[in-house]
Amino acid sequence: MIKEARIKTNQSILKKTVELILFIIFLFILFAPIFSILIWSIAIRWYWPNTFPQQIGFDYWLQALGIIKSLTLGAVNVLPAFWLSLGIAIVVVVISMLLAIPAGYALSKLKIPHFLKGIILILFLLPRAFPQQPVFLNLMLLFNKVGLNGTVTGVILVHIVVGLVYAVWITTSTFNSIPPELEEAGRSMGATRWKAFSRITLPLATPGLIASAVFVFLQSMFEFTGTFFVGLPFITTLPMTLYSASGSNIQFASVIAILLLIPSIVFMIVIQRLLKAEYIGGISG
Amino acid sequence: MNKNRSNLPQKQNFGKKQAVQGIKKSPAYLLPFCLLLPAVSVIILLYIQPFLASFWGSFFTRRGEFGLQNYKLVLDRYLIDVYFTFAVTIFSTVVATILSILLGVYLRLSQGWVHKIVSILYRLPIFLPFVVVAQMMRSFLAPHGILNLLLAHFNLINIERPLQLFNWIGLSFGFVWKEAPFMVLLIVGGFQMIDDSYIEAAKSVGANLYQIITRVLIPMNKQTILVAVTLVFCSLVGCFSFPYMLIGGKTPSTITIDIAHRVTYFRDYGVANALGVFSYLMVSILAVYYVLNMRKGLYD
Repeated sequence: MIKEARIKTNQSILKKTVELILFIIFLFILFAPIFSILIWSIAIRWYWPNTFPQQIGFDYWLQALGIIKSLTLGAVNVLPAFWLSLGIAIVVVVISMLLAIPAGYALSKLKIPHFLKGIILILFLLPRAFPQQPVFLNLMLLFNKVGLNGTVTGVILVHIVVGLVYAVWITTSTFNSIPPELEEAGRSMGATRWKAFSRITLPLATPGLIASAVFVFLQSMFEFTGTFFVGLPFITTLPMTLYSASGSNIQFASVIAILLLIPSIVFMIVIQRLLKAEYIGGISG
Repeated sequence: MNKNRSNLPQKQNFGKKQAVQGIKKSPAYLLPFCLLLPAVSVIILLYIQPFLASFWGSFFTRRGEFGLQNYKLVLDRYLIDVYFTFAVTIFSTVVATILSILLGVYLRLSQGWVHKIVSILYRLPIFLPFVVVAQMMRSFLAPHGILNLLLAHFNLINIERPLQLFNWIGLSFGFVWKEAPFMVLLIVGGFQMIDDSYIEAAKSVGANLYQIITRVLIPMNKQTILVAVTLVFCSLVGCFSFPYMLIGGKTPSTITIDIAHRVTYFRDYGVANALGVFSYLMVSILAVYYVLNMRKGLYD
């Protein structure tokens, strides 16, 4: 009996040790790439093959944020790109949500002929399933004809296409999660459809709609492929600045990468409070 | 409807009077179409039209001749890249699937403080954009990057001959780093739905861990795993920013890099579109599965 008990404790010690070793490997793989942009963003002098930089400081941060004047080769001031990205993202969120809320409500709550609903759902699923790059290439050719190429409007339209698909999807599942009996009860008490929607369904849907808006906002802030074709070289959003800095100056590129990292971590924390796991499932990837 | 009509005068002072009356006057069966029309027209105009144009455009050469010349050029010059894209995507998806199932099982079955920390931290890469992942991997995997410096620091490699990772290895590493956590998120959700009693029952008839995974957890969660695999495979085939920033200009490269080169250096949209059609074909089976499967889910 004692021997058996000892074997059991030995086994559990072994198990704990394996778990701990795997945990350390997990932490290394997860954090080492993140750590490497953090350390590059503050490395002023780092001569090969030293394991760590010789001199660290926030010079590149200050230069990138335009606080001190930059004389470095390949220097970029990221502030204009940041404001441009922010402005585009806000416009994209407003337009996408104005389009998505009615569409999501209709798909979720109203009677639509079966075959038509099928077609519409396919329309909104296709962009998620097929590679988008060739589509953006042809959108660029279309925009060339109408003079939208290299304009902020063109970039906003591309971002709306990307964001709208997700927005319609999340709003539809948000409205689906609200029991129809509530609105029916309101209407049987004499409320109009608009009143029932605005007083009952809309308030209940607000958390999901906010999550959807925040997600569209991030999609726009992060959008790369569409902006690459439609926007460059005239419209340089934050990801485009990162792309061009990446080839020339690793410190500036790291600073921009961290600036883009922050909103996604904030979003991760926010979305877990607002959204149920089954919605998140459909989102990223 | 009649009941509502009788109420109309009472809400004259209501904010969106105009809109309400507009909707009220139109027959009720038109309402869903009015609500859907704006969003659907945006998608048709800005997505479906260029999507179809990419097929049509693939049959026209730069000089405007109609035919299969673009496809011939792709097969002559880019076939290796088509294979490369396919191989790297399959490899990354398989590795990500295995890792995410293992991590999912761990998160489903274990307890303790390590479990608690892992269950929060693994989500970190899910919402990062690929541009940021690209910059991380560039500085992490470079010949002078942190990985090589650390390996040299512990005398595991000779720093004069660092590991060259700006190729399929680095590409797969980045893909797995970004996508495996997303798969874990989906798969753990599925595992959580499986009641403890199934696992207990399997244990009581003497099933070991391996059997619990392969006979209970995976079969009961097949649908979710398939959707996760599909989403990851499709998004990796179409991923542009990360390959472009990591291995752009090298050979072999991915289809997305070739498309960008064809456009920026040659203004050759025909061949770019033909390459695009190849990437559509690559995802076609899984994409159709995904669309039909999700459509079914959204009907309820």
